[in-house]
Amino acid sequence: MPGVLALLPEYAGQEDPVPEVRAAALAAVTWLAEAGPVTVLGDEQGTRVGRHLLAGAAEGAGSAYLVVANGSARRNDTAPGYLDERALPFDAAVGAALREPDPAALESLDVDLAAALLVGNPAGLVRLGTLLRGAGPPMMDYAGDPYGVQYWVMRWTVVDSEEPHEDPDRTRR
Amino acid sequence: MADGVPAPGTLRLGRHTFGPDQALMMAIVNRTRDSFYDQGATYDDGPAQDRVDRVVEEGAEVVDIGGVRAGYGEQVDAAEEIRRVVPFVAWVRERHPGVVISVDTWRSEVAREVCAAGADLLNDAWGGHDPRLVEVAAEFGAAIICTHTGGLPPRTDPYRIEYDDVVAAAIAETTALAERALAAGVARESIVIDPAHDFGKNTFHSLEVTRRLGEMVATGWPVLVSLSNKDFVGETLGAPTQQRLTGTLAATSVCALAGARIYRVHQVPETRATVDMVWSIAGRRPPLRAIRGLQ
Repeated sequence: MPGVLALLPEYAGQEDPVPEVRAAALAAVTWLAEAGPVTVLGDEQGTRVGRHLLAGAAEGAGSAYLVVANGSARRNDTAPGYLDERALPFDAAVGAALREPDPAALESLDVDLAAALLVGNPAGLVRLGTLLRGAGPPMMDYAGDPYGVQYWVMRWTVVDSEEPHEDPDRTRR
Repeated sequence: MADGVPAPGTLRLGRHTFGPDQALMMAIVNRTRDSFYDQGATYDDGPAQDRVDRVVEEGAEVVDIGGVRAGYGEQVDAAEEIRRVVPFVAWVRERHPGVVISVDTWRSEVAREVCAAGADLLNDAWGGHDPRLVEVAAEFGAAIICTHTGGLPPRTDPYRIEYDDVVAAAIAETTALAERALAAGVARESIVIDPAHDFGKNTFHSLEVTRRLGEMVATGWPVLVSLSNKDFVGETLGAPTQQRLTGTLAATSVCALAGARIYRVHQVPETRATVDMVWSIAGRRPPLRAIRGLQ
């Protein structure tokens, strides 16, 4: 899920500017928390956003991971970082790697380019690549760029080949 | 805060109740031929009805209906005042049941008739001149506004009035009137105080009352301000009557920051936007919709 600060209560206006992202993220984290304690993988701001949406659900080492990251904030001329022509192809490649999923592509993400494109938590996307080894295609809760920033909300379930007897529903990303 | 004075909170104006963080627009609707700003524009039924329709559409929570010019002018006795306002109150009650109906009168015999016709609030702009007015409010469950006039009788202008401390005088007079209303049986949450800019005051007094409005708010009684296009704005800026909106809104901002709850106005949308903006600056109202920098 994306680290959208508008999801935090301290930045709530009378109207929610991201109702679809919020609904998708809430549905996904609720599902995630059903698998046990959640590890939040985000930068400082993203972790705050993730914890807010987890709404007190248990955190800690387990098999559930919430990766708070997003694509470029330079997708058009009204985006926070203005337009960078490299943003759309970059996000398209990341989006494809998430949907496949393609762990190797995520693990080899160009983090310097990602930083230049104001990608949210590139290190989280790299780590997600590692976590997605063995995962099947995701359930897509949301994909869009309403403010020139690429957001994804997706859920993956990993069947760990080294622990074949584990309930696959217990290992979630 | 004096013992027994309510904390800022719920306002109950007749049939209508408002939460502690709501600022209310009270739109002026004069059934007079000679009021200073509108000069008789809504004396006749049709234009008055149009004015009410418009201000309700603009979001005014309260309409303040007056049948007598505040200042010197045409003689209007109680019978004529009743003729001007009572049928109109009944019309507003019927057409706009969701709006608070206030009537600007100092006469208890008029108050009785308008309350029977559906008024929710008595705007006693002449500071308790008729002591029976509060009894009518209590009898009908209406709210009342207690104003400071410095002891002037109705429809008179100040002449060489001075105060040791105009704010202290305004607080003393309005809170005494509020206590009297309470003793007469008006509900605590239905009593509002108004320093009454320009009433019994020169421009320096009205400026000081504006600057120190927080002291009135600190009494705990909800505060109404009536600033709209008044002479203290005109004298301060050298602006004729029809060019006082900017100055009015500046004064409105100061009163809003201090926490005034009700704004008696000619221009509803402009005042609403001003008060909403200040309310948000003060942290009492979230922005409508915020995404800048938060994507």
